[in-house]
Amino acid sequence: MYKSRTDKTAWSVWGVASALLLTGGTAWAHDPIFGIGPHVLYKDGVEVAPEVHVDKKGGERETELGVEVTYGITGDWAAGVEAPYVRKKEDGETSRGGGDASVFTKYRFWRHDTLGAQESAAVLVKVKLDSGNENKRPALGTGTTDTIFGLVYGYEGRKWYRWASIRYRRNGENDAGLRRGDKILFDLVGGIRPKLTGYLEPDTVWLLELNGEYGKRAELNDAQLPNTGGTEWFLSPGIFWTKRNFAVKAGVQIPIAGDLNGNQEETDYRAKLVLEWHL
Amino acid sequence: MKRFLVAPLLLFWSLAALAAGTQYAMRVDGLACPYCAYGIEKKLNKIEGVEKIDIDLDKGLVTVNVREGVELTESQMDKLFQEAGFTYRSMTKQPL
Repeated sequence: MYKSRTDKTAWSVWGVASALLLTGGTAWAHDPIFGIGPHVLYKDGVEVAPEVHVDKKGGERETELGVEVTYGITGDWAAGVEAPYVRKKEDGETSRGGGDASVFTKYRFWRHDTLGAQESAAVLVKVKLDSGNENKRPALGTGTTDTIFGLVYGYEGRKWYRWASIRYRRNGENDAGLRRGDKILFDLVGGIRPKLTGYLEPDTVWLLELNGEYGKRAELNDAQLPNTGGTEWFLSPGIFWTKRNFAVKAGVQIPIAGDLNGNQEETDYRAKLVLEWHL
Repeated sequence: MKRFLVAPLLLFWSLAALAAGTQYAMRVDGLACPYCAYGIEKKLNKIEGVEKIDIDLDKGLVTVNVREGVELTESQMDKLFQEAGFTYRSMTKQPL
């Protein structure tokens, strides 16, 4: 009885954790929708970004509303917090409430500026805190503190964009002894601005991302869980529309290949919409 | 009659000349998107006496009109653009 309950807990937490992984990308200015970019904020600038994420995987569906607030510490270093509100449906049960909050920081350690173009690289650290309710069914939090390390390169020109990034997600262990497998995320992204616009004109950039995710198996009291971990690849078209200090970012992750371990629901799609203000 | 017209015109011209400021044109690298340039506008607007800002992304040119008596310096602009996330290159100025 205890084992079955623990297993259910483990699976619920694993499911939430997998879904929450898509929030690992932190929204910043002209950066990819699902991947990460090297953009930071101007010194003393404040970025406010309400967001909505949807993750559909077989019979599971999770909708997450969140708000991210970022502050520019210097012209190359920014930090912020993210507070999500989650609605999750799984196996006929629905729960809602505050999810796991995160704190993050990004430092742009290299920048090469030329006429009409900027090339740069940055490192990112994000810590997902153990603040969501893990006792609800389905659980809204993972019950762990997880850390994401990211390294990214980006080129931004008047017409073309390109980014490449890698992230490593180190997951913690919860009170029930469950440790979700660590994850590695790869992103290759291209973008184009079809019409070169002036400073105060509405501006549109189209993006196409290739997002890869490799996850190790989860462990429950040091025993590997067979139906966890594996690889998924997504092709993700997106749009970035801006006017002066306001931006709308939207995209859809479409699975194109996958090799998940054991018996797992494959992702049907993920979608993300972000509104962003620079203040 | 002509005297009555010329006098006010001369007075208007001299007042305009007295109120005239300076236009600075700054070459800046890294300007690729309009959204990212907002930080420049915000930072320049914090300077007392800045009256008009124009940003030409294609030419990498930031043009600023300032009130009479206000002066922008190279070191000030170097720091400002660095904090906005761009690279300041050079500056020219002309009276308005």
